[in-house]
Amino acid sequence: MKTMQHNKKKRTQISIRIFQTIIIFLGLIILGRLFQLQILEYDTYKPLSRQNALRQQTVNPARGLIYDRYGELLVDNKPIYSLTITPSSYDTSNTPILAGILGIPVAEVKKQVEEARAYSWHRASRFYTEIDFETFSKIQENIWQLPGIGHQIESKRHYPVDSLQASHTLGYLREISREEYLKQESYHLGDRIGKTGLEKEYESELKGAYGTDYILVNAMGQSLGSYQDGAIDEAPQKGANLQTTLDTELQLLAEDLMEGKRGAAVAINPQTGGILSIVSAPQFDIRRLSGRVDSDYWVQINTDPDNPLYNRAVSSKQPPGSTFKPLMGLMGLELGVITPKTTIYNPGYYSRGRRYNDLADPGHYDLGKAIQESSNTFFFWLMDKIVHSHSIDRWHELAASFGLGKPTGIDLPSEVSGILPDSSYLNNVLGEGTWGLGDQISLGVGQGFMATTPVQMAKVAAQIGNGGYRVSPHLVHAIKKSNGRVIYPNADTSKISWIDSKEIEVIKDGMRRVVKYGSGRYYADMDSIKIAGKTGTSQNPHGEDHGWFIAFAPVDDPKIAVAVLIENGGYGSISAAPVASLMIEKYLTREINRSRVYNYVKNFKYKSRNG
Amino acid sequence: MADIVKLRNYNWTLVALWLGLIATGLIAIYSATQGPVSKFLPSYIQINFYKQLISFGIAVIVLVGFQYINPRSFQEGSYIFYLLGLALMVLTLLVGKEVNGAKSWLDIGPVNLQTSELMKIATILAVANYLTSRRNISTENFKTALTTVLIILVPAVLVLLQNDTGSAIIFLSLIPVVLFWSGLPYGVSLFIISPAIIGYMSIIGWYWGLLAAVIISLLVFVLQRGTWLTFTSFVTGILLVIGIQVALFQVLQPHQRARIQAFTDPSFDPQGTGWNIIQAKTAIGSGGLYGKGYMEGTQTQLRFLPEQWTDFIIAVIGEEFGFIGTTVVVLLMLGFVLALLRAAALHKHPFAQLVFVGVTAMYAVHFFINIGSATALIPIIGVPLPFISYGGSALITNTLMFAICLNLDFYKRKFSIYR
Repeated sequence: MKTMQHNKKKRTQISIRIFQTIIIFLGLIILGRLFQLQILEYDTYKPLSRQNALRQQTVNPARGLIYDRYGELLVDNKPIYSLTITPSSYDTSNTPILAGILGIPVAEVKKQVEEARAYSWHRASRFYTEIDFETFSKIQENIWQLPGIGHQIESKRHYPVDSLQASHTLGYLREISREEYLKQESYHLGDRIGKTGLEKEYESELKGAYGTDYILVNAMGQSLGSYQDGAIDEAPQKGANLQTTLDTELQLLAEDLMEGKRGAAVAINPQTGGILSIVSAPQFDIRRLSGRVDSDYWVQINTDPDNPLYNRAVSSKQPPGSTFKPLMGLMGLELGVITPKTTIYNPGYYSRGRRYNDLADPGHYDLGKAIQESSNTFFFWLMDKIVHSHSIDRWHELAASFGLGKPTGIDLPSEVSGILPDSSYLNNVLGEGTWGLGDQISLGVGQGFMATTPVQMAKVAAQIGNGGYRVSPHLVHAIKKSNGRVIYPNADTSKISWIDSKEIEVIKDGMRRVVKYGSGRYYADMDSIKIAGKTGTSQNPHGEDHGWFIAFAPVDDPKIAVAVLIENGGYGSISAAPVASLMIEKYLTREINRSRVYNYVKNFKYKSRNG
Repeated sequence: MADIVKLRNYNWTLVALWLGLIATGLIAIYSATQGPVSKFLPSYIQINFYKQLISFGIAVIVLVGFQYINPRSFQEGSYIFYLLGLALMVLTLLVGKEVNGAKSWLDIGPVNLQTSELMKIATILAVANYLTSRRNISTENFKTALTTVLIILVPAVLVLLQNDTGSAIIFLSLIPVVLFWSGLPYGVSLFIISPAIIGYMSIIGWYWGLLAAVIISLLVFVLQRGTWLTFTSFVTGILLVIGIQVALFQVLQPHQRARIQAFTDPSFDPQGTGWNIIQAKTAIGSGGLYGKGYMEGTQTQLRFLPEQWTDFIIAVIGEEFGFIGTTVVVLLMLGFVLALLRAAALHKHPFAQLVFVGVTAMYAVHFFINIGSATALIPIIGVPLPFISYGGSALITNTLMFAICLNLDFYKRKFSIYR
């Protein structure tokens, strides 16, 4: 009995020990687990709890502004006022008051409220956008009796210079598409992104950087105001401003002159390559593409047969016609095929297998006279000699180094290279061995397979004008970052290696004679300014020919070079030359004295597309 | 009657720990219902703090009042209490009120009673009384053991019918504790708790379950030297591992499976079942060493924590008072149960010992399951943290158990009263 009692006592003690051990063991596991979570994994859970409680609200940066060369503001931002609604705090009995202020039927407002409710109960959703400032102010005055109604101020592009369009150059913004959004992670859905023009080209500069506001939120997603009074908020970084090389007054004139026409006019500073004005006609109304989408207008400009969205200044490819002749002459001199004194007889045509017509009078021609009178015979002959004594590839090489057949690199989207044929090109297009002299001879007068863009021809005019120095056409002179840093995109101004300054003087002289005595004398000659130029007519198998004119002035120290293309304008001398000369006059004298020419351009009898 | 000598014999350590736990709870409940979070809470939840204060008042009265009761009456009345408890449980099942999916509340006028809480005490008393009147349990005498199991199993089934899984687990956990205390051989004891261990390991991974089954079978053999018991243990273990795999992928309801899955991988359903555990862990983890400050926990005050005044109260403490706060709670609780166990060891009377052991087990199991759930050591099982979680019935009945223990402890030298 005693042993049993003893055994029982012993068993009790052991049981107590075992219970104690189990409890302490489990207690240590719990403590260890807490130590793990709170000390070892603190760095994991701390940010998690912060993420929970803080909502990051993106603050959109102000988009960069665009200025002209004199610092005149061309593009800025204008606020768009929108109303937001937070359904959980909104009292539906206030709907009639709200509808009254907005001037919208009660039923419609009710519908909007329902939609917002369907979206989210606690989050603010956009309710009415682009309300005018007056209505917005009235709402703000009455905001105390409209709990749940808030506002949002966004911005749209605004163009302070009243009649200025420059629509292809400045470009417009559009809401980012899903594909673009997925491609670049620096955007949010609903952001507006540059779709054309400078807005697209300099999107990354203009855009700026998002700021972040930290808002305290609870588990239901209700926001409870700014966190730590905004101490950790990050301010948005304003987009960079662009200082362009545009001359607003010249641009306005060019747009005015090109109104009602199809074509392009490009004016360039031949010393720097800065674009002074650039117009593609017809234009579209850039103001109607900012802000809310005007879908009627969007459809209209997209279906217009004149295709106003197409930027002819950089995308249109046409044979340069006779405007190519000065460069032809320069290449002839360089290759030693001719000298300034080389003279040939022009019977009124060039005969080589067949007759190539010439509108210039028969007679003896040297290079200067051939440019002045735009003699086809001289340049057919010259091309004939070049391909025989050298090759079309050598010709291609020189013309390419002058900037043809490749993009000029202008800071605008959708620039094309044009066409500058060489043997492999002709092999590709016509087939090896099937092309001959005829296909090459017509290139001598800028016809046949050649095609250039207006901006390329402006570059050609500028490079002849400045004595053979390379220009890189560009619109942006300086990018002014919000942090004060200024970037000057550098432009190549090196000498084109094969140009001889004496030889180029011959060409410049010939071009001066074009304006003084040749086809330019009707509309491009002025006493006050010495203009040098070359007309051109690009043959159009589909209708009326296209008129070209390239020019620079003053001839001795050019300040401006211009290329104008008038589609279906007929002769360049009567369609393009007056436009170019008015632009030169305006740029150099700041006014137009020749109202005769101005009125002529404005009343230019425009030929229909199909002749 | 209360002369100084008598008062000195009271177990003041236990009383102090009891007060400490309740105070901690009140502090945390205040933050969880009256802090800045209150503006996101309905008023019937905000007043939970004041309801808890009232419950505390009642608990004090209960504690003091019970000291005047003759300790013999606990033993003598135990079967009556047990039957009364069962009757209340059945009544609850028939006319009870459902809260959070569990039909465990009986609405009696102004009082809402969670009958299963009362049943816990009644069961402990009944089992203690039954086992005191029997000889030791041995391998040859399984009838006593079976009766014991039955006494516990009946209320366990009833709470399960009330859809209160947490309480059912608490009841079941009593079985091995009281049987072991009453002399169940070590090997057999290990065998009967082995399903819990193997089951837990199997949920983490079937190979862990298998490993646990093998090790336990070896231990059973070492302790008991019984070939058939070892064999049974091993076979049971294997069947359990297989059964749990089948249950996880075939038998369980989707919501039950989701709960298990949320335990093994909370990111599996972060908005649904995983939400609670992610938010609780985030609250505790982000508290760090010192905590975010009283009523400054973002998880607590911005309503990210589920049930923060009851089952997840430790997350409130963890977030606002950090590791220091949680350690204090763990130490208070460990101190409390270890002190009760010590009281059991010092007591001479088997009935009182069994009551102490049963009550200790009940507190400890609540404690480990509650904190284990909140820290994702085990799948979420909804049981309150004793004395700390909000809940009047729980606070009062837990105090009731404690009051009985204090009473038995105080009168331990007066053998005459017992015999």
